[in-house]
Amino acid sequence: MPRVVRSREEFEGEIFESLVLVEGKDLPVHPAGTEFNEIAKSRRRIDGQQRVTGRAKYTQDVYLPGMLHVRVLRSPYPRARVRRIDTKKAEKLAGVRDVLHRFNAPKAAFRGEETIFREEVRFVGDEVAAVAADDEQSAVEALRMIEVDYELLPHVVDLEEAIGDVAPRLETDGNVAEAATHKRGDAKRGLKEADFVIDATYRTSTQLHNSLETHGAVASWDGEQLTVYESTQHAFGVRQGLRTALKLPFSKIRVLCDYMGGGFGSKGGVGKYSIIASMFSMRLGRPVRCVLTREEENLAAGNRSATLQQLRIGGKAGRITALEHTSWANVGQGKWVANPTGPTNTLYDIANLSSKSYKVVTNAGSLSAFRAPGYVEGTFALESAIDELADKMGVDPLALRRKHAASPKDPMVGKRYSDKHLIECYRIGAAEIGWQRRRSGGIRGSAPHRRRGIGMATQIWGGGGGPPAYATVHVNPDGTVVLTTGSQDIGTGTRTILAQICADELGVELDDVQVRLGDTDNPYGPISAGSLTTASVGPAVRIAARDAKEQLLGAAAGVLETPKAELRLEAGVVVTKGARTPLSEILGRVDNNTVIGKGGRHPNDPELSLRTFGAHFAEVEVDVRTGEITVEHVVAVHDIGRIINPMTARSQVEGGVLQALGFALSEERFLDRATGRVMNANLENYKVPTVKDVPAKITVKFVDRPDRRANNLGAKGLGEPPIIPTAAAIANAVANATGARVRHAPLTRARVLEALAIAEAKS
Amino acid sequence: MLRGPGATDVALTVNGEHLTVRAAPRRTVLDTLRETLGLTGTKKVCDEGTCGACTVLVDGGPVYSCMTLAVACEGKSIETIEGIAKDGELHPVQRAFIDADAFQCGFCTPGQIMSIVALLRENASPTEDDVRRAVAGNLCRCGAYPNIVKAGVSAGKRQK
Amino acid sequence: MNAFSYARPRALAEALRLLRNGAMALAGGTDLIGLMKDGLTHPESLVDLTGIEGLRGWSHPKGRGLRIGALTPLVELETSDVLGKTLPILRESLREAATVQLRTMGTVGGNLLQRNRCWYFRDEGTVCWLKGGNRCFAIDGENRYHAILGAQDCVIVSPSDLVPALIAYDAEIALTSSRGTRRMKLADLFITPRGRERREHALRPGELITEVRVPEAALSRRGTYLKAMDRKAWSFALVSVAAAARIERGVARDVRIVMGGVAPVPWRVIAAEKGLEGSTLDDASCADAADRLLAGATPLRDNGYKVTLARELVRRALRSLTA
Repeated sequence: MPRVVRSREEFEGEIFESLVLVEGKDLPVHPAGTEFNEIAKSRRRIDGQQRVTGRAKYTQDVYLPGMLHVRVLRSPYPRARVRRIDTKKAEKLAGVRDVLHRFNAPKAAFRGEETIFREEVRFVGDEVAAVAADDEQSAVEALRMIEVDYELLPHVVDLEEAIGDVAPRLETDGNVAEAATHKRGDAKRGLKEADFVIDATYRTSTQLHNSLETHGAVASWDGEQLTVYESTQHAFGVRQGLRTALKLPFSKIRVLCDYMGGGFGSKGGVGKYSIIASMFSMRLGRPVRCVLTREEENLAAGNRSATLQQLRIGGKAGRITALEHTSWANVGQGKWVANPTGPTNTLYDIANLSSKSYKVVTNAGSLSAFRAPGYVEGTFALESAIDELADKMGVDPLALRRKHAASPKDPMVGKRYSDKHLIECYRIGAAEIGWQRRRSGGIRGSAPHRRRGIGMATQIWGGGGGPPAYATVHVNPDGTVVLTTGSQDIGTGTRTILAQICADELGVELDDVQVRLGDTDNPYGPISAGSLTTASVGPAVRIAARDAKEQLLGAAAGVLETPKAELRLEAGVVVTKGARTPLSEILGRVDNNTVIGKGGRHPNDPELSLRTFGAHFAEVEVDVRTGEITVEHVVAVHDIGRIINPMTARSQVEGGVLQALGFALSEERFLDRATGRVMNANLENYKVPTVKDVPAKITVKFVDRPDRRANNLGAKGLGEPPIIPTAAAIANAVANATGARVRHAPLTRARVLEALAIAEAKS
Repeated sequence: MLRGPGATDVALTVNGEHLTVRAAPRRTVLDTLRETLGLTGTKKVCDEGTCGACTVLVDGGPVYSCMTLAVACEGKSIETIEGIAKDGELHPVQRAFIDADAFQCGFCTPGQIMSIVALLRENASPTEDDVRRAVAGNLCRCGAYPNIVKAGVSAGKRQK
Repeated sequence: MNAFSYARPRALAEALRLLRNGAMALAGGTDLIGLMKDGLTHPESLVDLTGIEGLRGWSHPKGRGLRIGALTPLVELETSDVLGKTLPILRESLREAATVQLRTMGTVGGNLLQRNRCWYFRDEGTVCWLKGGNRCFAIDGENRYHAILGAQDCVIVSPSDLVPALIAYDAEIALTSSRGTRRMKLADLFITPRGRERREHALRPGELITEVRVPEAALSRRGTYLKAMDRKAWSFALVSVAAAARIERGVARDVRIVMGGVAPVPWRVIAAEKGLEGSTLDDASCADAADRLLAGATPLRDNGYKVTLARELVRRALRSLTA
């Protein structure tokens, strides 16, 4: 019988308490050193063939008979009142079926507002109207024929301008709002007592996700049921959003996401495009497709906030005495803020600490979660400042960190960590990079004008996961298995590792397991975000597989007339003392049947703090005359519990390092302050790393010890950890190489050359 | 002969098959493949020649199909991701991608593979640098690049 | 992209006839299709030149210089071992240019005529001075990629990698229209937009570039191409430098230094080149030449770094000539 229990989960730096439904007892975790059949083995992705042949169907590839195409008219102004819209010409264009805008669209609740099309548009790219037409080209042409009368209003797009006094007030209580604060000890006094103090300002620029598959949906209303194909990290979240917007019961909404072309946090729930597509479909009775263009993606589908961060950090006698961290983040029109002070609050055992995080509203597109939101920005500032302090104190920056990194307790909430091996990460990383080669002032590079340096930075993140997450395991009479869950595979390899967990626990071959996910008709699966999928869905799958196995062995006992206790299931074969009988043979002797195992994730221990830890080390070469940075080697060491699939885990880390490399060196959104327009809403001038930007060497290491208190797999998440510390490690390596401290990410040539000039003037 | 601006018949060879499609001059190869022919393996990511996801081979050379007009390919041979596996056997590059874990979300994968297929026809045993040059015009946002380079080199070896 | 009609003539004369009616010429399409998709140009018809066989490929008639047909795909120049030896700077510049796909599609003529990459110019929603508006938005706006030299009403920069390399070889071009053929120095093709000249190229309506010619005398020059980008591949140059010279008994003759990415046109300072005539290209004279090239630089709010960068690349490029 299911029962309700209280659970405490961390999600992207925030703690949530909830009531969850669980059933039965959790399984014990396998001890360290267990030899598995599938877990802890490098396995090729089970969907690889679909992906390399082009047969994998992404949302973008859904073309339904009779489907209409939607294009959205977006505000060209950062702030304006939409006074009048004339769609007569557009409606007359051949192929145009319908136009929606604020004067004719039905009410639809969306993120606290009552409508999709605002009266006051608040950023360049805000939705003004939408056209459904027989083909995309007609919809595009129709957009040009819509006449809109805008009343222009004063705007502000820049973070620092918005904080200042002269900016227009966008909210009644101003543009700046306090969002999070933490205090322990007495930071003021700690700073006063310090022998060395660093007081520095750091900045990070707006990063755009640029998932290769843009946001989009295909909606199909058949008069009874709304089916929505959406490129999403959370099919159930989309269903919830559609229910709220369209006032349909869950039973009439089905959301599907089979293959998904990247999200990185930005596809966490329903989008206006899917509500618009659904509205059109319900009005017109035809399937409707609304897939964003690259430009729309970069205007209206989220970003990582630009930040301004002030840090004061004091040191004395080889230790950190106090830390003050204040952050302002440009959330655009977002309703929340990611917290850059998260790592400051939790990473190091520092007695005197005070932090504040402010949300700053501007006339720019909303932020959305972006792979370790807040933590990437905050870690850049925190870990740069710690290196600056170490430098000033004349101590080794790694040694300084070690003194504050060993505590088994979460310094913010005071609870014990379920497990922690950060010092081990430092040891492995230092050995791999050759930390002993590091010299204050850097080392010679490959040419007289090139300097080489080594730097490092630490990461802390959640990734412990938690309930709710459910799965079922269906075993067919031929012994093949279908694992079903509502989770989605956003490119992380979820399908593969869930199949491994299922095959391992059940005792069947990996090839015999099919995984069905990305469907709200499946058991509930959580959002694929917060590095929580493995640790949330994985344990549920294991329980479901165990449930199915118990039933199968029961059946086998009946068929073989052998006590169940004497039977084992191994690689699809039922093994007794004297005989091996294929599962298919046993089930084949019974009349048609389906064995269904069920599993749900059990709650976390509320007395523990579940975290992942890691450290990245970078070796760089800097051309001191051209400001060019070449990252030669990155060592990434992570403590994330048991590794389910070493091959895909390694890929995940490399990917995180490379996305961080973009944040560190080249990715930056440019907004024109006067017009509020994004100048680089494209892949030409928004510069994501190319293959040639990849460091000559990336070393990936895992502590790989099961976290016995985390969940029945002893595994935690890995999606976000590898993007967190890379930028700071690179900035620290650049400072080590050249003496130039760049306090603004990305470290472009302009910023590096400027910092080099300042460093030269000082020396 | 002036064609268009409306749709006209355009004779193409797609993955070895001779066919005629109706296409206005402004229609790109990418839209023709995806929407007219249902070959959705070729992905639309930027639609302006800046990402490489739509890479196909025209007369053997790798091009961005989003910037290529279908009408300009009259009489030419187009190869897409759907056409490189032969008789149910994956192309060596496809196999190498699976073995090297050279993709995560997989959205750039068809374009990456086509770029390397083109490379291997010119250079049967490419070095890592050769592969990097060949896919420098194919962006991957998941950061599968190190494995893509490995896959390219090993595909060259296994072709022999 | 607007609807248009299309023709693919086999003969140059036919193409020129079709172009008289206000049609636009299409070659690789790597720039034109982009301009059309961005709504910056709306031709009623396109004349696809790629069917004209006579304009493709290159030849080297003895002693009469090197001739490159305007429709030669860039990738053919890049991969030719012969050209790699004859015009090494060209190969270097092409290897840094765009991507394999764009070099497979793009042609020599199209590369010379590509339009600037200014993000205000490329933004359909911004009517900048070059597009007939009242002002250049970049001068007071986001200008890290813009001109530090030679700009007047408009601060675009010359985007091509191939062009500085070709100018370093004193390349000339042939322009053909239905009225005949004229020749000019490649450097003269580029116009600084100012006053009534709201354009980047001296091409006349109905005219096509049919050939690029490198004079025999220039073929013996050695040289290099350096390009700074803000990632390691696939970017337009922040600054690029093509440098060439003949080295005779340790001293430089016929020095050419051409910069891209810094001015609305490929940037040369003849006095700086002349100043190096007979020089051993020692550090001091290279630095001095770099200063001369950058003299008069007027950086904007965000592009001052280009001055430092350009000075260093020029110095390095020159130093490498005798290395």
